[in-house]
This record gives sequence, structure tokens and C-alpha cells, in this order.
Amino acid sequence: MVAARGIGKDYPAVRALSDVSLDLRRGEVHALVGENGAGKSTLIRILSGDVAPDQGTLAINGTDVAFASPSDARRQGIVAIFQELMIVPDLGVAENVLLGAEPGLGGVLYSRRQAERTAAAIFERLGIGKGIDPTQPAGRLSTAQKQIVEIARALVLRAPVIIMDEATAALSEREASGLLRIIRQLRSEGVSILFVSHRLDEVRGIADRITVLRGGRHIATLDASSVADTGELISLMVGRSISELFPPRNRDIGDIVLSVRGLRRRGAFDDIDFDVRAGEVLGFAGLVGAGRTEAMRAVFGAEPPDSGRISKRGEVLSISAPRDAIAAGIAYLPEDRKDDGLVLSMSGTENVALASMDRYGPPGLVAWREVRRATRAVASRLQFRGQLQSPARDASGGNQQKLVIGKWVLSGADVLIFDEPTRGIDIGSKAEVYRLIHELAAGGAAIVLVSSELPELMNVCHRIIVMSNGRIRDELTEAEFSEQRILAAAFAGHMATTGAAETARWA
Amino acid sequence: MAQISSAQDLGSGAASAAAGPRLRALLQRHGREIVLPLVVAFMILLFSLISDVFFSVPNFRNIGVAAAALACVSFGQTFAIITAGLDLSVGATVALVSILSAFAMRNYGISAGVVAALLTGCAVGLANGLVIAKLKVFPFIATLATMSIISGLALRLSSGVPVTGVPNAFADLAYEVILGIPVPVIIALCVLVVAALILRYTRVGRHIYAIGGNEEAARLSGIAIDRVKLTAYVLSGFCAAVGSIILTARVASGQPSLGTSLPLESVSAVVLGGVSLFGGRGSVIGVAFGVLFVSILSNGLNLLNVSSYTQMMVIGAALIVAVALDQALTRRGK
Repeated sequence: MVAARGIGKDYPAVRALSDVSLDLRRGEVHALVGENGAGKSTLIRILSGDVAPDQGTLAINGTDVAFASPSDARRQGIVAIFQELMIVPDLGVAENVLLGAEPGLGGVLYSRRQAERTAAAIFERLGIGKGIDPTQPAGRLSTAQKQIVEIARALVLRAPVIIMDEATAALSEREASGLLRIIRQLRSEGVSILFVSHRLDEVRGIADRITVLRGGRHIATLDASSVADTGELISLMVGRSISELFPPRNRDIGDIVLSVRGLRRRGAFDDIDFDVRAGEVLGFAGLVGAGRTEAMRAVFGAEPPDSGRISKRGEVLSISAPRDAIAAGIAYLPEDRKDDGLVLSMSGTENVALASMDRYGPPGLVAWREVRRATRAVASRLQFRGQLQSPARDASGGNQQKLVIGKWVLSGADVLIFDEPTRGIDIGSKAEVYRLIHELAAGGAAIVLVSSELPELMNVCHRIIVMSNGRIRDELTEAEFSEQRILAAAFAGHMATTGAAETARWA
Repeated sequence: MAQISSAQDLGSGAASAAAGPRLRALLQRHGREIVLPLVVAFMILLFSLISDVFFSVPNFRNIGVAAAALACVSFGQTFAIITAGLDLSVGATVALVSILSAFAMRNYGISAGVVAALLTGCAVGLANGLVIAKLKVFPFIATLATMSIISGLALRLSSGVPVTGVPNAFADLAYEVILGIPVPVIIALCVLVVAALILRYTRVGRHIYAIGGNEEAARLSGIAIDRVKLTAYVLSGFCAAVGSIILTARVASGQPSLGTSLPLESVSAVVLGGVSLFGGRGSVIGVAFGVLFVSILSNGLNLLNVSSYTQMMVIGAALIVAVALDQALTRRGK
């Protein structure tokens, strides 16, 4: 179908790809894996027409092609679905599905009814049935459903090739398996899928072949069936074997540090009670939208709750803004580093110092020398490997995460709430984040870890609380950890409400 | 022959490949800061060649005096724009400050006039800041509205006619020269230094960048967003007041129509100077070059007898080019 030969791409000061070849056969799921910075994104941006290669050729069905733009690539049958979904939230689902290919008379008039029929037919074909209503605004869909809308859009174009970039990264395990089912369905219809993912177990489950990139070079293309275990992929990706992705847990658990009682906000979460002890890592499992992030943001004062009591070491806190929480030593590391965690245009130094400037120099002024010294110390403790003086934008995903962690380490917080800290970062960086979490815990901090990745929760936490539909459904101690029990609780609240049952049907 | 040329091509190709990426990286990171000074230098060279009066101390003094007020206003505008905001009310502020300070000066003396000017500027800035930070009105609309309100106020207070009776000692300041440098230029340089220091060495300065770069991240880092925005607009109003003092001295009266072109010119200077309209990046040094660009362009065109109407067209076009360039750089920098 599609063949890329000897692709090379240079960016200022960095060679993103050199001599990479990849071919995508008809009706295969081809996985592309590699650490961050391995060149995956550059390769898919080249394949989808977003950037032009400096060397090498692209061919579709044996004919050389050059894409002028992503829309050019789309016309020639290659549709890419990126992590940042291209959904117009105010338009209806059907309009989004048919965006740019609206049905109607002579390309001028738009037939809403026909659009909705077409969208419904495609959802039917994908086996979602009436799980997504084509008439509702697309902004109300869950991330998983939005992805389905993008896939539907590719099907409207009858694209023979679909590139999916980290499609499952933002999904809970259940939603992800629904998406994988749809991918298998597409494969059986002859669609070729290039699948980029950090979830290696998933990759082994779905892919026919796997291509590994490292440092902008092609390392190997393997038949998925010949890969013995995930460890083999990991060692290919990192060029060394990671025997232990998850470091041993801290065993020194102290007194209760943070205590939350009766936390509630209408329509988001209700009746949230939990305690975290010094040195403990408390996990929060649940589906995306279960209210975990909302509850944690309420604890931090980002969106204060309607009611509830938050106390630290026995002292009741009044938190109405993040400033209050920070003053009390509570830190929140948001799910979306780039949108909520970092000021990308500012230097690493300033990002790390952002919450602690008050502690250096005379009031009102910035004591740059002290700030630099302090941030350098934190950065080296976290093994930050980027340039502290260059904009945070330039750092890799893993290093950006360290800047956010560094900000709170510097602020001296002893309650740290991590919201999806390893999303979109490579395995090497993940291992380091886990190491840092345990190190902080060993230093006496109380840690809350919100995550959609069950292996992560089960291997990092001392205790897991499962939320569903805004409420706590279950709590498991380390000895009780079981994937089935967590998933059952995660779906408990959704089964009860109508409509959600249909969501579950395709998920 | 063919072989020789291909070997040469290879050689030059290798050389440019070595220099190319580094130059490109440099341009990408500092393009906004480097390009404009070069353009200004080129403009000076060009006008010097075309006009024989351009390259002279008296003319440079002219440029300086003409640029000083715009410079002060633009440095203030910089604070607003770095927060990803905008202050369209600077021109109206200049007019109101001019009227009120002329009244105060006529009745209570020069220093009272200066104090009245600065207080008025701060008050207008505070009002802008409150509307933007507390009422959550978009800066564009908020300052467009306050522009109308302030302008109306200035016209009402003055009944639409200039306020005369400004002391001569004050009006003379506009043409006083210290160490060969006109006083307005010295004032503008002071504002430049103070603004640069605020942005670089004060917490509120860094918070202005943080808010413009990513307001949500700044909020989640415990920064008091409202207070910082308020400060930015007060600084803008204060700088506009300083600019108004210079202009009022130059026209030796309180003028209700002063500064009508300043919103456009200050935004042009700031954006030309490399401050991103999306906030979070830029420096007052760059803005100073933006001001020089606008002022030298208009001075040079004056010397070439280009009408002020045509100059308006040129400045408008330059603004579009600058923003388009900014967009292109932003997109590539992504």
C-alpha cells in the first residue's frame, strides 16, 4: 500500500530521522513504537503530509508521491488521527463526521438529514449502533467517542490508510479495548492502519507487524507473533534492558497527612472521603470522566467544591484558590502538562521557580542567582536532562514532566497529587517518574496518583480507590489488587444509568 | 567540467549544511529580536543616502523628541500585550491626562500637574484592569469601551477646546537639552530602563510573562492572576500618562484630541518590536526598536515630502507584515 524509503528529516540542531524505511501492507495493523524523540511523530507527520522529508521517497501502490499538505495526503487516501482531536465542539456529531465532505445539492446546500443518516450508517458499520447520537453536539462526547468520530470521518473519505497517533493514550482500558475492536473490524475490511502507541501490551495484542525506531533510526520490523514478550520490545526501544520498570515501594508509612471528608460538587462528584499517610502512594482508578480529576482539582482549590472538609495533619484547611493549597503544602500536577502545568514559552528555570519565587530575595523582586541555584539543585536531583535556560517547549515529554515535578519539589509540598503523570511519555521516563514518586514518598510526602493505566496503579500504589460516576465504589489494599475487581468497580456507577449501558456495549 | 562543478557544489553544500541549521536555529529562537534592528539600520542607511538632511544631529533630535511620547506609551502597551491583553485606551488616556494636568498646572503649578497626570493615568489603568480582571471582559472590548468613555470625558471636561495657560517653564521642557540629549528622550529612556527592570527583576514582571504564556498553568502555580493583570494595566496607564506629559509640553496646552493615532502606533511598535500578540514573549528593548522603526520611517518620509496620509497607509501595511511574520515564525517554531 504505502512504502516509505530512506526517509530523512533534519530540524534545526537535530536530525529527527535518518534513512528510515517502512512499508504498510493492505489490511494490516502496523505498530510504530519507540521512546519519545525516537522519530515516531516526525515519521507520521511526513506520512500524513504535514512536513516534507529532506531525503527519501514515499510511494502509494508503487507510484511515487509527494504531499503538499495534510489535505493532499487525505485526498490520496492517508488520513491521520492525532492525539489532539480535530473536533468542532459546537457542530453536531454528523457534521463533524462529514466535515469537508458535506452531502447536499451541488456542493452548496447542506442536507442535515442525509448527513445524519450517513453518520448513523457508519456507526452501525463500526458496531457502535446507537451508542453515539449523530444529532448531538460533538463537544459533549467523551474522548473515546470523539476518536470514533474521527475514524468515521476517515471512513467517509474511504481512506485505505489510517494513521493513529497514541489513540488509546487518553482512554481507560475498557474504552481502549472498544477502540481496538473497531481497529480489527477495519482491518478485516482491508484498511491499513499505522498504530502508534506507548502501551506495548496493547501493541502486541493488536499489531500484525511492529516497527521499532530509536534515535531517528529504524531498529527493527518484526512480526508481532515472533515477539516473545514486552521486555523484548522495551530493550529494542531503549537499547538496553529495563529489568525493573517499577521500583520497589516505600515501606516506611507514617501518620495521616491529608484527610478529605464529604467532598462534593453537584454533577461532578459526591461523598468523597479518603486519607493519605506520609510515605504512602494512594491510587485513584476509574474511567475518564469518573470525577477523579475534578475531585483532585477541588482538593487543590482549582475549582473549589460545594462542600466538604479538607484537613492536613489534623488541621482543617480553608482552600478557595490554588494559592491556599500551595501555602498548605499541597501540590497538583495536572493531567495536561502543556495546557495546565507549564508555561511553555518560559525557561525551565522559571517554570520550576514559578510557585516558589516568594522564597528568594527581597519581597517583590526576583533574585535570579538564588533562583537559578535552587532550580539547578532540584533539576539535578530529578535527573532533568534538558536545558534549564531554554524554553520548556523545547524539552521532551519526560523532561517536561520533571519540570512540573520540580516546581512542587522546590515549593516544598508534602502532599503531591499526580494526575496521569506518565501519559504520553516514553518508558524510560516513566520508570524515572515512578522512581521519583517513590523517592518523594520515602522522603515523607503523601502521594495521590490518578491514573488510567492499571499496571501502573497496581505496581506503584499502596492502596487503590476506585471511582465511578462521581463516587467512590471500592477501595483495595495491596494484597487485594485485582484487575477484575477494579474494572468492575470502575463500571459500577455507569451500569446504573441508562445510555451508559450502550457506551459500555461498544467499549 | 561537469565533474568539477559537481565537486564544487558538494563543497559549498557541505559548508552551508554546517552553517545552515545553526543559523536557522538562531533565527528561529531570536529571529524576532535580530531582524528589526537590522531593518532599522538599513532604513537609516537608506534615508541617509536619499536625503542629505536626514543624517544630522538636529534631525536625530527631531526624531528623538517625536519618538519619546510614542515610546513611553508603547512601553506601557507592552505590559498589557505580554499578558495576552491589549490596551486600546492609551490614546484617550493621553488626551484626558493632558486636559487634567493642564488644569492642575494652570491652577496649582507644574509639580501638581505632573502628579495629577500620573494619578490620572494610574486611575484609568486601574479601571481598565478591574473591568478586564474582575468583570472578565475581553481586553479588546474592555479598552475599546473605556477608550470611548475616557475620550468623551476629556472632551466634556474641556468642552472640546484646548486648555491653555500651561506654564512656559513646563512647555520649554520639551525642547530643553541635557548633555546634548533632549529631555523627552531622557524621560523615555528612564521609562525604558524601569520597564525593562520591572519585567526582568520583579515577581510581578515574571508573572506577567507567565500569565501571557499560559494563564491556567500560572493560576495552578498559585499566581494571583487578577492582581497581576491589574498591575499590567495600571503600568500601561502610568506610561501613557508620562507620554501625555511629553506631548502636553510640546503643544504647550491641554489638548482633548491628543494621541488619537497612538493606539495604532503603539500596538504597531510593540508588535514590530517582537512582542507576541498571543502573550508571554517579547521585551521592551525590542519595542524600543519598534518605536524607532515607526518614528524613523515617518521622519524619513516627511523629509521626502510624503504626505502624512500616505504615511498612515505605510504604517498599516508594516503592521500587517509584522504580524504575518510573527505568525510564520510561531508556526515554524512549533
